[in-house]
Amino acid sequence: MTAAERLPPAIRVLERGWLSSNNVLLFDDDGSATLVDTGYVTHREQTRELVRRALQGRSLARIVNTHLHSDHCGGNAELQRAFGATIHIPPGHADAVARWDEDELTFVATGQQCERFTYDGLIEPGSEIRMGGFAWQVHAASGHDPHSVVLWAPGPGVLISADALWQNGFGVIFPELEGESGFAEQRAILELIGSLAPRLVIPGHGAPFTDLGAALQRAHARLDALSASLERNARHAAKVLVKFYLLEVRKVTMQDLVDHVAGARYFRVINERYFRMPFDEFVRRQVTELVASGAAVMDGDTVLDSGG
Amino acid sequence: MNPSSGWCSGCLRTIDEIAGWSHMSDDARRAVWVELAHRRRQASA
Repeated sequence: MTAAERLPPAIRVLERGWLSSNNVLLFDDDGSATLVDTGYVTHREQTRELVRRALQGRSLARIVNTHLHSDHCGGNAELQRAFGATIHIPPGHADAVARWDEDELTFVATGQQCERFTYDGLIEPGSEIRMGGFAWQVHAASGHDPHSVVLWAPGPGVLISADALWQNGFGVIFPELEGESGFAEQRAILELIGSLAPRLVIPGHGAPFTDLGAALQRAHARLDALSASLERNARHAAKVLVKFYLLEVRKVTMQDLVDHVAGARYFRVINERYFRMPFDEFVRRQVTELVASGAAVMDGDTVLDSGG
Repeated sequence: MNPSSGWCSGCLRTIDEIAGWSHMSDDARRAVWVELAHRRRQASA
């Protein structure tokens, strides 16, 4: 039996990949449904069709975002158009969404895109929302993103962990790239998750899982290693961001990749702080390492996503 | 999604395969993986 089959019938996980986060559909008591996170913008039609099938004629009343990275909220606008759902976001980025400040929303820094949307309500840490017939506590979960939340339903013992905890690791600790605190916050959220002791975790990426102890152990070990070396965290972030772009475009010439990456603030910061090499050399080095690990393939001067 | 093949351009799965993925048994997923290898060859042909 897979972990997903142990979920209450009112909770349905649409497991996606790395470009798009998972989408969690919760069937509410009144015949409508709530969707947690909506994937990346280039997948929006696919997300809409997946959700339409899973709804089986029910209406989508609400969209809830755990955080506003492009791979979690890129389908918001499309799903709102298609289903008329209201959108509910954590409060930290609310003003930035209202102004659509792509810099503050990290889309400029990461070199990623997102379709503009407006929000209808906030999910405040410390409050509770009802989804799928269960009460979910909203817990602040900064570390990966200062304004992220995780959602915890004590009744069924299910945690929607976003990018704070995956079966094998967690999302890049972005604040530390620019000298802000993130490791301490990540440690705190891992400890909180340990104390909640969920029976089942629905992560932002990857399959739902039940072996919490092992996942926490891996996450703590990884956090120890990253926090011991800011440079290691930065090198990891640079590779993750290049890989994300390859997932998005699937193939790109080296020159176009360099040009794209030059527009993304995180890359410039990482190079200035940790690599200090000519920019195109810095980008080539990330590609070389991705090729070495099997995450990319070179064909002449073209870089291709390896599909893995 | 590729409109002519009905496959996701990235992972080459159909909408049904993506929708059902988290509820598939390991054997069913392996069967899809085998099929994906064929599709990858077709897609690059």
